[in-house]
Amino acid sequence: MKCAEMIETETPTVSRREAVRLPNGLLGFEQIKDYVLTSNPDEEPFAWLQVEDNSSLAFVVMDPFVALPDYQPDIPQADVEFLKLKQPGDALLLGIVTINEGETPTVNLRGPVIINRHTHIGKQVIIANAVQYSVKHPLPVAESAE
Amino acid sequence: MLILSRKLGESIVIDGHIHVTVMRVDGEVVKLGIAAPAEVPVHRKEVYEEIQRNNQQALTKQSATLPKLAGVLKKKPAVPTAPGAAVPAPVPVAKKAAPKKI
Repeated sequence: MKCAEMIETETPTVSRREAVRLPNGLLGFEQIKDYVLTSNPDEEPFAWLQVEDNSSLAFVVMDPFVALPDYQPDIPQADVEFLKLKQPGDALLLGIVTINEGETPTVNLRGPVIINRHTHIGKQVIIANAVQYSVKHPLPVAESAE
Repeated sequence: MLILSRKLGESIVIDGHIHVTVMRVDGEVVKLGIAAPAEVPVHRKEVYEEIQRNNQQALTKQSATLPKLAGVLKKKPAVPTAPGAAVPAPVPVAKKAAPKKI
């Protein structure tokens, strides 16, 4: 499934909090399956994928289409079926951000987390055209912090 | 680990439905053709490992300070579709079990 033409209809204006289940976990964290996705308008374009166990561990995530407007991930058919995606609009894509304190933050465009907006079930998917994108796509930081 | 010798053009069959064929041997490079059902993901091992490592580096605490991004990234890109336009039809054409080049 091509997600190039994904339409983002919601502009979050309020903090949101949604339970998300990743039955296979994330690569390297296969045992952690339950997360809470939280977003806050003040922190845009970032959101948090928090581990649901009070450990305060979390991943920073963002809309990969904000990082790279012409991002065209090709989701393998097996993953489309696993996630029960019927149309591109069913998929919420999240790129995992590495903050890299003191250095350029990056976002993973090779292995986005894809969540079915209706079932809240997700998976970290290695896109079929992974070779076209970087696991560490740099995010330009503001020249000076306010 | 099972170790098999194969000549150019020869194959192995895994679980009756995954066929791996030696397509070409060129010095140190071996080209494999993999015919597998669409529900069997096939990836280079190093891509898996790269994403695993990246996830481990990305794991942080909820108290972490978020970077401030250049203004251009603060907003969502303009949606190039007219308001009310239908969501594009899915393109989930089932992939045939054609050889995959990896």
